[in-house]
Order: sequence, then C-alpha cells, then structure tokens
Amino acid sequence: MNILLVEDDLELARSVSDHFREHGFTVQHCADGISGLSSACESEFQVIILDRMLPRLDGLSFVRQLRQRAVTTPVIYLTTMSGIDDRVEGLEAGGDDYLVKPFAFAELLARVRVLSRRPGSPQEPAIRLSLGSIELDLLKRTVQRSGKNIELLPQEFRLLEYFVRNPDRVLTRRMLLENVWGIHFDPQTSVVESHISRLRGKVNQGFEFDVIQTVRGTGYRFLAPN
Amino acid sequence: MRPTRVFKTESFRSAALFATLFLILSWVLLGAVYWIVNDTQTAALVGAIDADINTIKNGYRGEGLPEAIEVVHQRLGAGKYSGADLPGGYILIRDAASGEAEGNLQLGEFKQGLFSVPAPRRQKHRSAATVLGRGVYIADGIYLFVGRDTSQIAATRVRILEAFAWIEGVSVVLAGLGGIFFSVQFMRRIDAITRTCQAIIAGKFGDRIPLRGSGDELDTLSAAINDMLDRISTLLDNLRQVSSDVAHDLRTPLTHLRNRLEEARQKSVTADDYAAVVSRAIDDTDHLLAIFSALLRISQIESGSRLAAFSALSLTDLLEKVCEMYGPVAEDERHALLFDIQRDVRIRGDAELLTQMFSNLIENAIRHTPSGTRILIRLRMSDGAVAASVADDGPGIAAGEHAKVFRRFYRLTSSRSTPGYGLGLAMVAAIANLHHAKIELSDNHPGLRCEITVADRWRA
Repeated sequence: MNILLVEDDLELARSVSDHFREHGFTVQHCADGISGLSSACESEFQVIILDRMLPRLDGLSFVRQLRQRAVTTPVIYLTTMSGIDDRVEGLEAGGDDYLVKPFAFAELLARVRVLSRRPGSPQEPAIRLSLGSIELDLLKRTVQRSGKNIELLPQEFRLLEYFVRNPDRVLTRRMLLENVWGIHFDPQTSVVESHISRLRGKVNQGFEFDVIQTVRGTGYRFLAPN
Repeated sequence: MRPTRVFKTESFRSAALFATLFLILSWVLLGAVYWIVNDTQTAALVGAIDADINTIKNGYRGEGLPEAIEVVHQRLGAGKYSGADLPGGYILIRDAASGEAEGNLQLGEFKQGLFSVPAPRRQKHRSAATVLGRGVYIADGIYLFVGRDTSQIAATRVRILEAFAWIEGVSVVLAGLGGIFFSVQFMRRIDAITRTCQAIIAGKFGDRIPLRGSGDELDTLSAAINDMLDRISTLLDNLRQVSSDVAHDLRTPLTHLRNRLEEARQKSVTADDYAAVVSRAIDDTDHLLAIFSALLRISQIESGSRLAAFSALSLTDLLEKVCEMYGPVAEDERHALLFDIQRDVRIRGDAELLTQMFSNLIENAIRHTPSGTRILIRLRMSDGAVAASVADDGPGIAAGEHAKVFRRFYRLTSSRSTPGYGLGLAMVAAIANLHHAKIELSDNHPGLRCEITVADRWRA
C-alpha cells in the first residue's frame, strides 16, 4: 500500500515512515506543502498523511487545492492544533480524519488502514449491510445472525454498524468514541469496554465464534462469522 | 496641562469655528442695518429739503423774488424773523442777473440736483460736518439751494458701529472663554483616560476609567473601554492561571516520571524490568499529555471562542444519549443510573461541550461513590428556566468544599486514591459559565446534588 506523508518535522517523519515500512507500506515523504501537493496529484496514493502547519502551503489550503483538482485520496491530518474549531475546520476543508499530536503509532496505523479501504466515491447510502452470516437492516434498525434476530439498543446498533463497515481492521477506542458516539474527549470510565461487552454478549449468544476480537492495548477487530 | 494643548482640542476648535461664523453673520447684519438706517435718514433729509424748496418756489411764484427772500428769512430765522432757528439748515437764493444772494451759505458753483458741500465754519457743529442739499433754478436766473447738515446721520452711523463693535467683542471673548472651558473639561476627562491607560501599561491592571455617570458619549466610550479591560483582564488571569498550573502541577507527575527512570537506570537488570519501566513511563507521559489537553481545553472554553458555534439543540436528546452511554458503565460498577428527563427541552449551546459537561458529572458520580449508589439525572423546565441535575446518594462532600472543587487541580482528600487530574469539575464550571448557566452543589441528604440552571435568555 502506498502512502504520502507530508510533514516538515523530519524526526517525526522518519519515525512514522519507518513504522509504516515495517508494516509493509510504501511511504513517500515530502517536507513542504507545494512538493507534497504535486506528488499527490502525480501519483496514486491510498492515503495522504498531512501535517496542518507546513512551510509554503498550509494543510488546509493543501486539502482545498487537492479537492479542487478532483483528487479524492483520503487525507488524515496530523496536528498539534487540538481545538474543536480546528478539527471542524480541517474536516470542512475536505479532510477525512484528524489526529492530534502526540499520538500512539498504533492509533495512526489503525486510522490509515480504515481510510485506505474507503472507496474513492462517496458511499452510497446502503439500506442493508451484511458481513458473513450477520445482516443489518439500516432502515428498520434490525440485526440477524444466521437468521436469528438480535435485539440491540440504539448505541449498540451503531457500534455494530461501524464494525460491520470496517471488518478485519483494528478499531481503536478513540475511533469508536469519535465515530459511534461522536465525542472527542477522553472519558475517565470504561464507556467503550462496557458497551463492547454487552454487544459481544448479545451478538455471540448461542454461537461459538466470537466476532469481536480484543487487540490488547489498542482496540478491537471485528471478524466476519461464517 | 500645556496651554497650547487647550487650543488644539476639538471643543476649542468648534467654539472658534462657531465664533467665526457668528462674526460673519453679524457683519452681514451690520451691513443691512447700516444701509437701511442711512437710506431712511437720507430720504427724510431729502424730503425736508424738497418741502423747503417747494415753499420757497411757491413764495416766488406768488409775489416774486422779495417774497421768496422773505420765506428764506422765515425759514432761517434771519432778518425780522430772528429767533426761529432752523438747526442745521442751509439755504441760498441768488439772482444770477444782479449777482445778489441771500442765505446762510456761500457756494463756489451753482450746480443743480443733489450734492454735498462742506459746512461753513461759523456753525457750532464740528468742522468735519458736510451739508447735503439740492440746487434748483426756480425761475430764469433765480438759483435756489436748500441743504441740511448730515452730522446727525454720521452720529447714528457711529452709534451703530459702536454697538456692533461691542456685540462682536463680547461674543469673541465669550466664545473664547467657552471654548477654553469646554476644552479644559474635555481634556480633564481625556487625561483621566490617558492616566488610566498609562497606569495599566505600568502594570496596575486593576485600574479603570472613572465614569461621571452622565451617560454622555465619553462615558459610554469609557464604559466600553472598561468592559474591554475587564474581558482582557479575565483572559489574562486565565492565561496566568494556566501557566502557573502548568508550572506547578505538572512538576509533580514529571518528578515521578524522572524518579522512576532514574531508579530503573540504577536497579533494573533484566530486559523485562526495563520493559516494565518503559511502559510505566509511557503511561506517565500519557497522563501528562492528558493534563495538558485538559488545561488547554479549559482555557479554550474560557476564552469564549466557542460562543460563535452555539446553536439551538435539544437538551432532552443530548441527556438521553449521555444516559444511554453511561448506563452500561454504571451497571458494570454496580451503580444504578436512573433518569427523569422532560421532553422537548431546548436551549442554545454547544452540543459537544454540553455532552462533555454531563459526562464529567456522571463519571464523577460513578467514580467517587461506593457500589450500590443510585445516580439520578433529572431535566426540568419551569418558569422559562431549564434545570438539569445529577444527584447521587453516596457519601457526598462537606459543604465547605462545595466551592473549592471547581478549582483546577483541587482534589478532595477522599478521592486522592482514585486516578484523575482534578480538572473534571473545573471543565464543568468553564462549560457552564460559557453557557451563562448557574452551577450549584448541594447536599442531597444523603449524597451530592449538582444542579445546572440555564437562564431564560439562553433558551432556544
């Protein structure tokens, strides 16, 4: 998989590139906005990792120009700007995800993997989702596993929907908080764990195979049941 | 106050401008009055002159020259009519054929029509006086001149000019004094503002511009400046607070981290020991970063920049979502999370921040109370005020501590053993303040009750 890293902090760029290469990615690095933008337009990348404060062309203008040129490659910002407005601005400019520095590499890796799967065109509003023997009806908000109905609370349903849309990928606790609950702060209690354990109980009841795999210290991975 | 400054002020300049305008107007007025009075008086003189000419002419037409001379004597009070004086009157009648002349005036040439000649010196009037008169031939060779002394008109002119000179002199002095008075008044107030600014520059941040309470434009401006200074001062305090928090309260966790690393260098022998220390050190760093983020977030909230993003939202939906989110957590901790939420309660606010505020309160209730505690979340709207509360029947906190727990890094002795930063309630207070909501802790008999009341004007 091919990644473009646009980052002027060379130390961070080296460390991130090394990590990604260890995980089998190809990384191209640009240290400023202008050269980053021309690379992004010339070659095909699955994901662009972008610093928001760059020399010569800042991150927001970078994404706006990229989208103007109809390049739909997913962009994840890496930034020290942690304000609520900063995040909203970043996403409105056409970015796809936002990660505040400093961050754990596992968090970045998980987000890049999820972004790289995202289709280039906007997702069609599906009515039904299915993965293995699990089927979700997004209109009626019902779930079946191997034809057996599973009763879920609204937030449990949204959690399962997010898992089913991103199977076989590690989803971190923060990604779940942001995408399922829409919250961008760190709860001091085990919100995610409690909901996961209930969802796991309901979805696995009567089945041998556990669809939610815990990845220690990082997050969870949803596996397609047969 | 330097005198030259007085003349440079706007009030002095306006006074000077109005004084000049007044002077120009009064000159126009003077010209008009002068012209009208002069014209009227001259017309009256000419009328009297023409009346005399007619009388003398009639005398001549009736009886000839002797009768005309008789009339002249009558008018001048000369000859047998002595005593009946005509003040300032001059008549000359002359027969060109004989060269014989009668009257109280000599003329060099015998012009016809209206003209002026110098008054003869023998008169009691001043030598500068002139005589205005008309010369006519009442018959062939009979020349008649009747004139009047114009010193009366000249005196009136002088009186008018004197009156105007006084009026203008007094106006200029009054305008000047008034200008200086207003200018000095204005400069005193400007100087008060300048002094306050200089005091603030010199470090006395508490100084404010004194208000006169008159509600005039300078007072309005001063009040606006004072409000701005208050706001800046709040932000400054805020910034100072954050810096001192960072300096003091981050020192402790940093010291712990440093000690742990130093100990590891001295004692650890196996790779596993090092791995354990490194993982503890990463946890410590994460803890530090979390404190940083929380501090930044609080100061960002306090700066008020989020106000622009306020929108109408359903507090009912928001609280129900938060309750659904924390239901399983409470259950896992063997707490009961109950809620009593009124339908369709809407306010203006920031959904993300309000979610965080209620999350912090509920998390506190879960984390700082023993198992079996009941937590009740209520939302009520009455008399236009919205009241949301999080109450538990746990051990509660002493009334004396109620105000202190909202301070940054303040931790109750009883909760020192629970992990946390002591920033959760400071954040709650900051979010409540941003929404102009009143936040109040009270005894729940037993337990703690935290109520947030949103004022009427912030409702959607």
